Amino acid sequence: MKIYKRQNTRLLNPLLRNIIYHGKITGLLIILNFVALTSILAQNSTVSVTGKVVDAANAPLAGVTVQVKKSNISTTTDTAGSFSLTAPNRNAVLVFTYVGFDGQEMIAGNGNLTVQLKAASNSLGEVVVVGYGTQKRVSVTGAVDRVGSAVIEDRPVANVTQALQGTSPGLIIQQRLFQPVSGALNINIRGLGTINNNDPLIVIDGIIGGDLNLINPADIDNVSVLKDAGAAAIYGSRSANGVILVTTKKGRKNQKSAVSYSGMYGIQTPRYTFKQVDGWKNAEYKNISLINSGRPVQYTAAQIDAFKQQGNGTWRLENIMQNAPQQSHNITVSGGGANNTFFISAGYFDQRSMFVGPDYGAKRFNFRLNQSTTINKFTLTTILSYVKGIYKEPSTGTEGLVIDATRVPLIYSFEDANGNYLGNSVSGSNSKAILEKGGYQNSNNDEINGNFTGEYAFNSHFKVRGVFGGVVRANTQFQRQVNLVYNGGNYGNDRRIYDENAKSLFTNVQLLGEYTNNWGKHDLTVLVGGTNESYRFERNRVQKQATDSLLGIPTTGTTITVPNADNAATNTFNSNSNTSESSLNSLLARISYGYDDKYFIEGNFRYDGSSNFPKDSRWGFFPSIGAKWRISEENFMAGYKAKVGDLMLRATYGILGSQGVDPYQFISSFRTNNNVYGFGNATGGTAQNPVSGGQIFVANQDLTWEKAESYNLGLDATFFNRKLNFSFEYYHKLTDDILGNREDVPGFYGIGPANSAYTGLPTYNISSVMSKGWEATISYDLKGKLFTHSFMANIADNQNELRTLSGNVQEYEFKREEFWFVRRVGLPITTYRGYVTNGLYQTTDELNKYPKFTGNNPDLGDLKYVDQNGDGKIDPADRVMLGNPFPRYTFGFTYNVAFKGFDATLFIQGVGKRDALIRGELIEAYHYGYSGTMYEHQEDFWRPDNTDAKWPRIAENGSNSNNNNYKIGSDIYLFNAAYGRLKNISIGYSLPASILAKLHMQRARIYLNGQNLLTVSRQKIIDPEQSEFNNRVDINSGANSARSYPTPVYYGMGLDITF
Amino acid sequence: MLSKLLNKTIFILVVIVIISSCKKMDLKPVDRFTDENFWLVNGNVSNALNTCYQRIFNSQRFFYNEALSDNAYAQLDVNVGTPSAIASGNDGLFTPDLARILSDWGFYYNGIYACNLFLENVDQNQSIDLNTKNRMKAEARFIRAFHYFRLMNWFGDVPLITNIEPDIDAVKNTARTPKAEVLNFVLSELDAAITDLPKKEDYAGADKGRVTKAAAKTLKARVLLYQGTPATYAQVITICEDLMNNQATNGTYNTLQPTYSSVFALNNELNAEVIFDLTYIGANVRVYDEPSRFIPISAPAQNSENYNAPTQELVNSYVMANGKAITESGSGYNENIPYAGRDPRFSATIVHDQAVWTNPNGSTQIIYIKPGSDPNPSRLNEQGSGLHTPTGYYWKKYFDPASVSDNRSHINLILLRWSDVLLMYAEAKNALGQFNTAVWDLTIKPVRTRAGFTDALALNYPGNSTRTMTDVIRNERRSELALESLRIDDIRRWKIAETVMNGWVHGGKWGPPAIDNGYVRVTERRWLPKHYLWPVPAIEIQKDAKLLPQNPGW
Repeated sequence: MKIYKRQNTRLLNPLLRNIIYHGKITGLLIILNFVALTSILAQNSTVSVTGKVVDAANAPLAGVTVQVKKSNISTTTDTAGSFSLTAPNRNAVLVFTYVGFDGQEMIAGNGNLTVQLKAASNSLGEVVVVGYGTQKRVSVTGAVDRVGSAVIEDRPVANVTQALQGTSPGLIIQQRLFQPVSGALNINIRGLGTINNNDPLIVIDGIIGGDLNLINPADIDNVSVLKDAGAAAIYGSRSANGVILVTTKKGRKNQKSAVSYSGMYGIQTPRYTFKQVDGWKNAEYKNISLINSGRPVQYTAAQIDAFKQQGNGTWRLENIMQNAPQQSHNITVSGGGANNTFFISAGYFDQRSMFVGPDYGAKRFNFRLNQSTTINKFTLTTILSYVKGIYKEPSTGTEGLVIDATRVPLIYSFEDANGNYLGNSVSGSNSKAILEKGGYQNSNNDEINGNFTGEYAFNSHFKVRGVFGGVVRANTQFQRQVNLVYNGGNYGNDRRIYDENAKSLFTNVQLLGEYTNNWGKHDLTVLVGGTNESYRFERNRVQKQATDSLLGIPTTGTTITVPNADNAATNTFNSNSNTSESSLNSLLARISYGYDDKYFIEGNFRYDGSSNFPKDSRWGFFPSIGAKWRISEENFMAGYKAKVGDLMLRATYGILGSQGVDPYQFISSFRTNNNVYGFGNATGGTAQNPVSGGQIFVANQDLTWEKAESYNLGLDATFFNRKLNFSFEYYHKLTDDILGNREDVPGFYGIGPANSAYTGLPTYNISSVMSKGWEATISYDLKGKLFTHSFMANIADNQNELRTLSGNVQEYEFKREEFWFVRRVGLPITTYRGYVTNGLYQTTDELNKYPKFTGNNPDLGDLKYVDQNGDGKIDPADRVMLGNPFPRYTFGFTYNVAFKGFDATLFIQGVGKRDALIRGELIEAYHYGYSGTMYEHQEDFWRPDNTDAKWPRIAENGSNSNNNNYKIGSDIYLFNAAYGRLKNISIGYSLPASILAKLHMQRARIYLNGQNLLTVSRQKIIDPEQSEFNNRVDINSGANSARSYPTPVYYGMGLDITF
Repeated sequence: MLSKLLNKTIFILVVIVIISSCKKMDLKPVDRFTDENFWLVNGNVSNALNTCYQRIFNSQRFFYNEALSDNAYAQLDVNVGTPSAIASGNDGLFTPDLARILSDWGFYYNGIYACNLFLENVDQNQSIDLNTKNRMKAEARFIRAFHYFRLMNWFGDVPLITNIEPDIDAVKNTARTPKAEVLNFVLSELDAAITDLPKKEDYAGADKGRVTKAAAKTLKARVLLYQGTPATYAQVITICEDLMNNQATNGTYNTLQPTYSSVFALNNELNAEVIFDLTYIGANVRVYDEPSRFIPISAPAQNSENYNAPTQELVNSYVMANGKAITESGSGYNENIPYAGRDPRFSATIVHDQAVWTNPNGSTQIIYIKPGSDPNPSRLNEQGSGLHTPTGYYWKKYFDPASVSDNRSHINLILLRWSDVLLMYAEAKNALGQFNTAVWDLTIKPVRTRAGFTDALALNYPGNSTRTMTDVIRNERRSELALESLRIDDIRRWKIAETVMNGWVHGGKWGPPAIDNGYVRVTERRWLPKHYLWPVPAIEIQKDAKLLPQNPGW
């Protein structure tokens, strides 16, 4: 078969490609080492220096880094704030740095120094983790946000992603689903910039490929969010969506060992957003709906009376939910000697599910050892972490359980008087029975995350670092469905069990050389390195059915589920048909130069080769350049600096990449599908022989990198003697060659993209998207005599726009249920299209006057539609763009206040503008006939005695009225999903130092906290954070409906103790 | 000194680790053939052809197409995409972006792709013997012709794609081929297939179920019958006579099974009446679950949900055991005991109120459907709103308790069978005014005999009936072929859809007597002249404007 091929013109630098081909990287690295090894310097004679570092209140500061300037001699202060080191001579300059304080320099002199550090009211002195290293905030040119551990602690979150919500402007986190384990979070930086995956790259302690949801929030020292090309380009082909760098806590040199405990315990309470109407009322409404459809009523007046007498049944969401505890406990031991540091932690997190049933929920155990040893010029850092996750979930999906519990009239109950489960004519599926007796799904997942870093400092200027890191995951899952038969329903007929095992290994090898020097007013740092990342994944599964009904073990009649055309994901398979591998070789460099602490310029470069792309388009070059000007340091600004504060400008420009594709797509291949058909027939019997099929997957030999060209402008300023900090960013990103599914393939071509029903086509470079926006952060510290306040607010806006679509067409329109999702050049990535309503028909005069759909005969109380083009009829030409489903004006607000030993934190987070579609039974009464009840928010519907109604007349599926009102995608389904949420609040009390000393404690604090306590939104039907879109903006997503696990509201308390 | 040595040693170790971990960049999948070697392996060539078979048709279309017609009503969306939206009251409003229409368009072209791929590449293989290869090609050509027949039946003019163009952009300006040309292609392809295909007896045991000469001829007869011109009727007659008279060439199919039910029985698959069927295999190898959603709730139906229910209109169409329609004088029909004394196929096809249901363990139960009639009041009503039968009837045909485990059945689904040949022959003869006692005795009589009629009034040619022979033949077709996905084709080609698809669909007689004589109103349907052809899917026109003009009325 011929494969269409065209000359690739996208290669950036064929010369580089030839020099550094796979394997040749290593040669270069060896040369680099040689140069390094031959340049060791001799040592000088010395002077011994001791001293103490204190803060403004003369309290000792532990962990301050004390370094001899322009050398690698350094130490840190102990818990008493004391330090000692050996300086080369008396004139040596000691540099004191500590996170959250301004740095200070001092001459070594005769030793025995007392150094008072000033708390940094701005963050210029702070050290920021950046790609493959750290930088002082003052020299950073890119858009990097640092989130400290203080923001993450105290919050009763299940994982780090939740903890980061609202902490950094432009870091958009949307919790789509709230159940433990499989709760879904969308995380993206600066909104959606591509129609491919928008997940940022996650890097934990320098190793790519970590899982934010597995790391213990209590182990985190800080998180850096790299938002622009200037900061992220060093991660090259994976950086287009930004990078999140997580750094875990370390011990400090010369630090007395300290033991800390922190624990939290609380109760989650479900927050319900909608309720079924009373059973008897529903019977009346159902009759109205039937009458409006020209059909006979279902309930007699006597029956309705009887429903009223007997009261409501128990078939409602509240009866499959319960309050559930959540707790976490962490113990850490950390400390360090002259040549080593250690940090050991053990954590336990347990979130019980709010579903009734046998103890559903998630448990996570975290263990961590971060250790470093220095032997002369060599430092070995070892990071080892082990995570075990034990998850128990119901044997069927959460969405089904919720919907089956909510769309049944309240005349029904889950159980009869004797406790026997029941079905009913609306839903035979009894959620309570399934939760309590229907089986379960257990997951038992292990992850080992290791990272060995050896750093050799040849002299004060040059050091070389070798890193070997990796992530091993071994996940197992067991599911059993128990057969339940009850009056009016049945479940789990196939008595299914399965075991699934998945194993993956990710390894990352890095070799980096770093040269730093400063002379005169010049400051230069050069970082050069090479890395390889390799990944291998394999999975197998054994599934059986018709197992023993009591034990779920194989018995007479049990069969192994064989693969067939319908169960590709759930059959029995072996690892050789579920293996994938990929590899990425890279060279990287960063050059940063500063002049007089006033002007900074920085370049980042990465050259990546990925096995996911064909040979000719495998390599990509990703450069960025950035500059910064501290205007307030200029002489002519001296007056401004003294009176107002700092002022600086930043700018970066660069090209980032993305390689989010499945491997092997440039090879045309055939998959063998089992049991697609059968032939043969024994006489009178049924014994066909199953046969396999061969399914083609076509190649794309032009596949190449997705590239994002972006720039960022930043402004940082302080006011009121640095009490008020302000920073502002503006960015613009143009993503081209977006990797995705071609939507322009005609159906008659015969096969379509991977997301279509008739898959067979590979990923292509299909389209381009522009994304732009701004971010602002403002923080203010107010220290009174008694109270200390701090305020921090951030807000960000992002807008995206499709620039080109696959096949160079202007528009694709996709119908999903009643709605149209539109992808159109010049508009946001996906927009809603539909009809605009114009109130209800109230008079026969109106019925005659207003334009209608051809063939439909609405009646009084039905919806009128706007005839946009005025042609006297309502047809598809009258649809308009209804809204934009992407969050804009995302904001976070934090307020801290301290008074003597008391402290309080308040954290509010939300979205300023978003449109959301809600469909299904929550809007349409008796949706498709399979929803049996109305909800309280729907009761204000049109009746002859209630003409001033919010909702149109109700009627049955298939009727004129229903067709006119609810089978039309119109703005009655459109809601304003802006919201503000009191996400977190905590009130604590710390014991004073005098009492602590008697107790031999360093710190003791007790606090009360709460989460999701208050939500303000005009859309009250479902949680306003819910979205139908995953982080790929998948056009095939369904719309929002009444299927989500309720939002948990958390109340609890916590304790922090350090000895 | 020692530590320096240690440093160097560690350093060198790190370098070694880095070198050794540098991974190869040219990775290949380990679980797939690539196009370099796929076609050279004989087993792969068979697999590629098997994929063509897999895509011929599927159980969803087979069963839910019935709900597009006046025979059934499906209240729920189903996988193939809302037949209710096409067939129920919504029809006046359904637009060219309806999922079901796009689904069919894509389905058939996906099948065509597999056939084109096979036909284009099979000759790369030199080790399969020529005869086998020619037969395999003929199988693929039959399947491709089947797809084009379905496409032109739904859409009229459609793009005629007979090869694989690697450059997707190059096919984007393809226009629709006039229906007449597609028809010629289908007929000539079938002619070619007829030449190279063997009769069923010539297939070895392991190959039974493959396309045969008779299958290709029967399909050709159906294609011609659907065209409905005197010329094509004449050709239908020729083909049917060939099938009836030249069994040595075409295979033997005229051994009618002892009962109507046994034609569709699990233990009688590939019986003599079957000309071509879709193969299904037990133990979850290749199965389908639709019939478990069509049976009584107390049977029990899968998830206690009904997805497809026969209409009162279909029930009324079954004649009495004496061959008379229930509306005819002297039929003996009693509206109060409506299910007694009917065409034996009625109770073999439909579960009605108070019908006796056989459970998988052989025990029986009475199905109480009429609301309030169940002596066990705690049991859920079979009929009502919600998920139970909206009409008061369930399907029995194609549900064999013995074939079902875990709600899944594996009875082969018959696409072409002998009764259809007889009824096509009857229809064509009648259309050309050539119907007589001899034709009756060759066609309707054996079909009715096998159905279990014993009354001579029903079995013998009703010379001077009050009903026209056209009505009798059409009704015979409706009763014989119910739930075989053919009714929607028939009402469209007879152009009676405007009559039978407009107005209320009804259920059993337990509604308020004042409304529609007490027959429960289920849904109101509407059929407009434009519905005789489906529109080209809207999204397809977005992708290729050359598909315009749209079909009339859309």
